[in-house]
Amino acid sequence: MDTFLTEKNRAVRRAVRSFCDEEVRPIAGEIDREASFPWEVVEKMGKLGYFGIQVPRELGGAGLDSMSYVIVIEEISRACASLGLCVTVHNSVAVFPILAFGNDQQKQKWIPPLARGEKIGAFCLTEPNAGSDAAGIEATAIRREDHYVINANKVFVTNGGVADICLIFARTDPEAGAKGISVVVAERGTPGFVVGDLEDLCGMRANPVTSIRLYDCAVPMENLIGEEGMGLKIGLAALDIGRTGIAAQAVGIAQAALEEAVKYSRQRRQFGVPIARHQAIAAMIADMATQVEAARLMVYRSATLRDKGKPFSQASAMAKLFASETSTKVTDMAVQVHGGYGYSRLYPVERYYRDARVTRIYEGTSEIHRVVISKEILGG
Amino acid sequence: MKNTAMGPNKTIVCVKPVVLSGSGAKVRSAESYGLNPFDRPALEIALQMKEKRGGTVTVFAMGPEPSAFVLNEAMAMGADAGILLCDPALAGSDTLATSTALGTAIQHLSPFDLVLFGTRSSDSDTGHVGPQAAVLLDLPLVTGVYAVEPLGNSLRVERRIDDFRETYELPFPAVLTVRPGSVRPRDIGLLEMGPAFEEKELMTWSLKDLGLSPERVGEAGSATAVISLSKVKRTKTCQFLSGSNEEQIEELLSRLLSSGLL
Repeated sequence: MDTFLTEKNRAVRRAVRSFCDEEVRPIAGEIDREASFPWEVVEKMGKLGYFGIQVPRELGGAGLDSMSYVIVIEEISRACASLGLCVTVHNSVAVFPILAFGNDQQKQKWIPPLARGEKIGAFCLTEPNAGSDAAGIEATAIRREDHYVINANKVFVTNGGVADICLIFARTDPEAGAKGISVVVAERGTPGFVVGDLEDLCGMRANPVTSIRLYDCAVPMENLIGEEGMGLKIGLAALDIGRTGIAAQAVGIAQAALEEAVKYSRQRRQFGVPIARHQAIAAMIADMATQVEAARLMVYRSATLRDKGKPFSQASAMAKLFASETSTKVTDMAVQVHGGYGYSRLYPVERYYRDARVTRIYEGTSEIHRVVISKEILGG
Repeated sequence: MKNTAMGPNKTIVCVKPVVLSGSGAKVRSAESYGLNPFDRPALEIALQMKEKRGGTVTVFAMGPEPSAFVLNEAMAMGADAGILLCDPALAGSDTLATSTALGTAIQHLSPFDLVLFGTRSSDSDTGHVGPQAAVLLDLPLVTGVYAVEPLGNSLRVERRIDDFRETYELPFPAVLTVRPGSVRPRDIGLLEMGPAFEEKELMTWSLKDLGLSPERVGEAGSATAVISLSKVKRTKTCQFLSGSNEEQIEELLSRLLSSGLL
């Protein structure tokens, strides 16, 4: 499975798996039921470098490669998808844009506390009327003297309830269409920055997904990331990385479901033998394992391309599409292997089933990914 | 930071690459190896002393080339340097031959103050190597150590055995084997992966580097040989009790009493 991983990649996997088995897995069911954010574990993860996986070491991060990044997300998600979501969104679509497009002053100010997990990041693009059509956002950031006045209604913000540093996508030039969109950092606590109620979601319940609304919120001009009008470019670059992370998350959830199905099929006896001895169940296990492996290879390919400095946008889109659809199929099969117990909260597979579902929706729906992939193939 | 008068200046921790998974056959690959979990507390104790009192921690292992990463992992925990003793002639070493090789290698690291071992390994479970190495090095030894307190040029160590606590004082240099439950080893973080794999020194030594004859190690230097290895099959039986709850409890108690379990 991992013949092309480096020893360092393998060491990363062992370290994360060991931490998650000890600290995350035992609480995953409870924090899902209670929809609570595991601050204690998050603080430990911050000290261990999970919030600055690819941040250069001189800025306080771990300075690891993309392959290590996807392995970390896969392993956290194998234990708890909500926490995997928190970490991938923070690293990919909150920290990365500041690192890649921010100036030195911005990096020095925001990256070290983000990399240590002392501050948590969020990516605020989606609005009630703008999801897949990102260019259709209505938020505005209007220059007034030495600051921007932001008005925005951002919904389904991952980490919204705990985020300190939010990347707000808003129109700095309302007349300029897609080219008038910019990214401005708004910090929690700024007057006019309002965190909405927790979304009551089907899965990922331990992640505090909320709306974030900005009412005449004044932020300094120096909070602009890149230049005015670069918003969509920054967003799409961040999403290429984010998608690989979500794909890794989907693989982690599917892997957990596969492992539970294998375990249960060996324990549960019907007709005098463990159900794993029945061909119908054994065939499901074979299909689950094969699909998880295929999805994992696509994720690793996307990460490898990025590590080699090659274009990976298409690979990332394909990995996200395939891994998310695989994850929903595999978790569905894991519920089926468990029969009635799979539909009960006595076993974790129902959580995997709920958690997997959203991977086909966020950071670009499957439908949008098919559009992106087909355009690349067909042109136009 | 560094206060040589207060603790060991140079600590060596011997760690073993063990087979973590597999069917019991002696198959070793990069995927199935890991750092012996019983060695981690020894490393943790060394690292805590280093953090409080200064000094350096060198991790030492014997094994084939693919097992070198256990030293990287130990360095990711905080050890300063790693040395792998690797030589085809070491294959098949029993605990005596292993101790001969380790003892000779440790002598090459002189001067040192303290050598730590886990009490045993998770894969062969003999507990021989630490004590045998101490004998070969002709150094004072305390086994099953629970806590360590450096006292200037000596150490006070606590050893637990059954329900008793023994306290020893011994001079440097010394050898200790550390109990698994003595201290919780730290989590390996991501922040230290870069230094552990790219910056810290990892050396590989062969028998030639030690001037050690192949006759003294491997199968040739072993006093014992494993003739066979097979899994013990335990037969489990399940009996159902019937009747009311009270009747079932009565029946269970009488069976436990008659079987001598209660």
